[in-house]
Amino acid sequence: MLIKDVVCPFCGCLCDDLDVEVENGRIIRGDNACTLGSKTMVGDDRLKAPIRRDGKRWTETTYDAAIEEAAQILLDADRPLLYGWSSTHGEAQTLGIHLAELIGGVVDNTSTVCHGPSILAIQEVGHPGCTLGQVKNRADLIIYWGCNPIDAHPRHMSRYTTYATGFFVKDAHRDRKVIVVDTRRNESADVATEFVQVEPGGDYAVLSALRAIVRGRGDVVPPSVSGVSREQLFRVAEMCKNAKFGAIFFGLGLTMTAGKNKNVRNAIELTDELNRHTKFIISPMRGHGNVYGTNEVFTWITGYPYAVDFSRGIAFYNPGETTAVDILRRGECDACLVVASDPAAHFPKACVEHLARIPVVQIDPHPNATTHICRLQIPGSVAGIDAAGTAYRMDGVPIRLKAVIETGVPNDTEILQKLYNRVREGKGE
Amino acid sequence: MTELLIKNACVFDPLNGIRGDIMDIAIRDGRIVDSVRDGSEVIDASGFLTLPGGIDSHSHVCGTKVNFGRYMSPEDMRAGRTARRGKMHVTSGYYVPTTYGNSYRYSTMGYTTVLEGAMAPLEARHTHEEFNATPHQDMLANTLFDGNWSIMEAVHAKDVKRAAAIVAWTLSSVRGFAIKLTNPGGTEAWGWGEDLTSIRDPVPNFNVTPAEIISTMISANELLHLPHSVHLHCNNLGKPGNYATTLETFGLVPDLNNNRQTLYATHVQFHAYGGSTWRDICSKADEITKSVNARPQIVMDMGQIMFGRTMTMTADGPMEFNLYCLHHNKWSNHDVELETGSGIIPVLYSKKSLVNCVMWAIGLELALLTKNPYQCLLATDNPNGAPFVKYPEIIGLLMSKRYRDEECSTLNNGFEQRTSISSLDREMDWNEIAIITRAGQARALGLAAEGKGHLAPGAEADLAIYPIRCDDVDPATEYRNVVEGFQKTRFTIKRGRVVARDGDVIVEGANATFWVNPTVPDEHNVANDPEFVKKFEEYYTVRMGNYPVQDVYLPRGRCIKTEADL
Amino acid sequence: MRVILEAKARKKPFLPVEAESIIPRNFLKGTDITVYEGNKERRLEDLFWIFVEGTAVTPEKIEVVLKGDTSRVKRIGEYMDAGKMTIAGDVGMHCGNFMSGGEIEIFGNADAWLGREMRGGYILCHGNAGHYCASGYRGEKTGMRGGRVEVLGNAGDYCAEYLTGGEVHIHGSCGDMAGVEMKGGQFIIEGDATRPCGNMKDGTCMIFGTVHQMLPTFERTGIQELPDRKVKMTVYKGDIANRGKGVMMVKETVRPDE
Repeated sequence: MLIKDVVCPFCGCLCDDLDVEVENGRIIRGDNACTLGSKTMVGDDRLKAPIRRDGKRWTETTYDAAIEEAAQILLDADRPLLYGWSSTHGEAQTLGIHLAELIGGVVDNTSTVCHGPSILAIQEVGHPGCTLGQVKNRADLIIYWGCNPIDAHPRHMSRYTTYATGFFVKDAHRDRKVIVVDTRRNESADVATEFVQVEPGGDYAVLSALRAIVRGRGDVVPPSVSGVSREQLFRVAEMCKNAKFGAIFFGLGLTMTAGKNKNVRNAIELTDELNRHTKFIISPMRGHGNVYGTNEVFTWITGYPYAVDFSRGIAFYNPGETTAVDILRRGECDACLVVASDPAAHFPKACVEHLARIPVVQIDPHPNATTHICRLQIPGSVAGIDAAGTAYRMDGVPIRLKAVIETGVPNDTEILQKLYNRVREGKGE
Repeated sequence: MTELLIKNACVFDPLNGIRGDIMDIAIRDGRIVDSVRDGSEVIDASGFLTLPGGIDSHSHVCGTKVNFGRYMSPEDMRAGRTARRGKMHVTSGYYVPTTYGNSYRYSTMGYTTVLEGAMAPLEARHTHEEFNATPHQDMLANTLFDGNWSIMEAVHAKDVKRAAAIVAWTLSSVRGFAIKLTNPGGTEAWGWGEDLTSIRDPVPNFNVTPAEIISTMISANELLHLPHSVHLHCNNLGKPGNYATTLETFGLVPDLNNNRQTLYATHVQFHAYGGSTWRDICSKADEITKSVNARPQIVMDMGQIMFGRTMTMTADGPMEFNLYCLHHNKWSNHDVELETGSGIIPVLYSKKSLVNCVMWAIGLELALLTKNPYQCLLATDNPNGAPFVKYPEIIGLLMSKRYRDEECSTLNNGFEQRTSISSLDREMDWNEIAIITRAGQARALGLAAEGKGHLAPGAEADLAIYPIRCDDVDPATEYRNVVEGFQKTRFTIKRGRVVARDGDVIVEGANATFWVNPTVPDEHNVANDPEFVKKFEEYYTVRMGNYPVQDVYLPRGRCIKTEADL
Repeated sequence: MRVILEAKARKKPFLPVEAESIIPRNFLKGTDITVYEGNKERRLEDLFWIFVEGTAVTPEKIEVVLKGDTSRVKRIGEYMDAGKMTIAGDVGMHCGNFMSGGEIEIFGNADAWLGREMRGGYILCHGNAGHYCASGYRGEKTGMRGGRVEVLGNAGDYCAEYLTGGEVHIHGSCGDMAGVEMKGGQFIIEGDATRPCGNMKDGTCMIFGTVHQMLPTFERTGIQELPDRKVKMTVYKGDIANRGKGVMMVKETVRPDE
């Protein structure tokens, strides 16, 4: 059976044009998907039932028993951490936040190791952006800064930027210029019109220099900034000012190098400056398929996009203090619920060491690095494969994920609802 | 079957001509009825002012740009925080509260229905998700068409039926309620960083003018028999001298509907400026109201500003960028492909600023100079002019010249020459206040037929009981009591359930979302038009099949079906 | 009056304690004060041994002394307006936030956000201060507005971020981006700094050590002698990228490296 217009849940591109072939209740092919999408839709290696660590062994258990134990762990904790959320649907994220609110815990999502700094920058200077279709239809200059879309967002260029034909850009190849800025010549640089190589940690200085040039004070810029020649800086500034519509996309090259949110802020302020001359936007290349969704849900419920601490009853937000990595590194939590993410694979060693010391419950259908350090793992269905639900694309467009196959596995929302109810009972409500 | 009897209510129900009668109100299963059985639950309203539930006809509380406003303002979030308590969730935020914050605060003030000021069709799903998290008000969505490519093509081809067909498909697909135009044509120009300066300026690349867009959409709206009229944020918002644009726009509007206005002009304060620069800006409220007083086909809302910090957020992208260039505050922008735009920037309205004082006066002048209160409704374009929690203060100002005079004496000296506020003696009465905060909205939005905004048997049992005894309070002198009284109801009742009492929300909400489904004959259905589908799939970045908002997002949807005259 | 609080050993010593109620003024009413450990409400005596010497009728006459392991006790001195607080060891995050008067002296190290959004008063840290010392809060345009923060050791990254008024004096070195977004006030760094004063709009920053990775958008305007210190400073105006009119002075004999 062929199902059309399926939404791939893997990365922030949220491509919704997949044609999926289903046979005998299994996905056997996903056309139009990139390799990452294909692997997501077709590959399958799931737990068949909840598992429980028993000394050095794992035993299977029931959903009810697992949820009961998880509820107890959360009720006993003085500072529980509820982390992850980015690969599940919005309905589950909503429950997760209400659960944290109920138990007075900290709730955080994967922005904390990815675009958290971008969010901090936006909170300092705002976000001049647009939906991806504006870029597709109008942009004649694309800048990829500190990211490698060919590797991490394989269809970004063909669906939205470099190769995408638009209403005002009929011949993408001829009508568009691409600049790639990075510390090394990556695969995306090979298809660029201009490649700018920046010394590691030097992006902030380059952005400051570009801002000065664009506002007409290029006279102060020295012969070379972080390995980039003055001549190239002036050339790039010219390309930007002469564009009819420029778009900057950026990734961890800015968010996770020295300066972090200040790097992103500087890029946003460059975009603001360029808007005095022409039309320019900037947008982050969000990683997880529904991480922006988590930010949205967090925000309309708590007021803050990630790192929310409910210990004092109200919502308190302070990245660096209420973020999962900092809390774990400092040993500041005594229980952890992990949902739809894999912190053991992504977090610094000191954090994983602390996770190994405290009771951890994971809601995830796939055996992963976090499995090794958790006490209980409860498999839910996968949003976009056997669970429907809402996801938000990297540019904020909300798309409904489809359940392409039926597996009878409870989805994250159902599991979390039971957990929430059980915790409420435990609190005597 | 749940029955409730409210005794001794001092009722103002303008749509049914009731002005301060002490009466009982009987409620059964969420509707007003003639009577209920003995032994039903009784609430003694003790002679307190009882009105139909408040209706806000233009407020930005749900959706992409509102959430942008929250997201980028952690410093506002920490300004207004409450902990989880009883049935109430955690809330945060003062001028851009979280959805629960909005819902509880509106409920505390007696509001039971809110029209979200702007929803981009492509992002409608987000708005609906937030509607579900604003659980104590029935919600409706103004749907943006100002920069819509296929609409502009239809306007260019002078094909009103085509425009109507596109509106019909879009509204029913994204579960919208009404046609919203924000800076028509200007939001498309902003896609290139440009703006329009008059309603006769052609939109670059599309060659239609705002005047043409407005006129076509007004005709299309009436062909579709939509409950509400076209809802318009005029071109040139915020620019000194823009009153001329507003008057010219009003001049375009025919009288096409017997039951309601043909154009709803929103936040007109921002569109009523004389002068030509910030230095000589002055009020043209007199000219605007002269035009509206002569045109029953136009209804407007005040767009009142109040002093203090707040957040501006509109689909008017270029206007927000201009604010950024003026004040250099943090600025966000979000253009939506093929449809519209938006911008968000915090702002401070200061008593020391002559311009801000003039703006403050204009809003009040508009209300006081409009003869028929049904034609000038109370709103602040929340949060653009002020957060909605300031509505009670505005009520106080409209009812008391003394209050106005006291406020004026604290303002920048120069402003009195620029406006006529000091010379206006009119003081509104309870009946007029009831009109400009609910009865007027119900009529303008076409919701009276749905049972909103009035209390005759058959109406929805949405009521607000305010701790004000009309005979004991003289609003002209005791305005502080008026303000306080409107800030917190004794009871807010929604669909027959007490949802708020003395500032506490006491139940989980179960709101409804109202939307329209204008049915068009098959040959006009754009979904069957291969050209329309082809262009959609080519230029949007989502598939047409994934665009419509699915049923699951409206767990308690209330669909208003209309038959189009195509 | 002297109130001595000695931290008791805790079952979970790494869980943070929030103690914004520990300010001199609150002890006028006695020692019945609430603090929080994680999401649990605790009484002061649950977490501290309490000794009170003497009495007072105004907060100016109250000194609060904290002893023992207070490295995880946060928000001490928040909104403090008078009196003295002495911390014998290390202190947790957010010490002295919003302070408007009085004096805080820390003998150990201070964790992040020391003196955040300070308005007045004096904070002296003998040890090192963590990140965001004397900074602002997320999203606000204004940081520290008045008062004095003095750190005898080193400071972490983003020291004096958004400095708007008052004085910050670091005797050691600063980490990355000291003085970023500065728009007023006086900032003195005796030691080294990396990429200081990014996006500066106004205010004065003096650096007597080595500047690493000097930002390219500062304009050299001349030399100025400081007679009381007997040194010459190279004077820069910036941050030109941000239309800034701030002044950054760097000790002349040590050339800033690019």
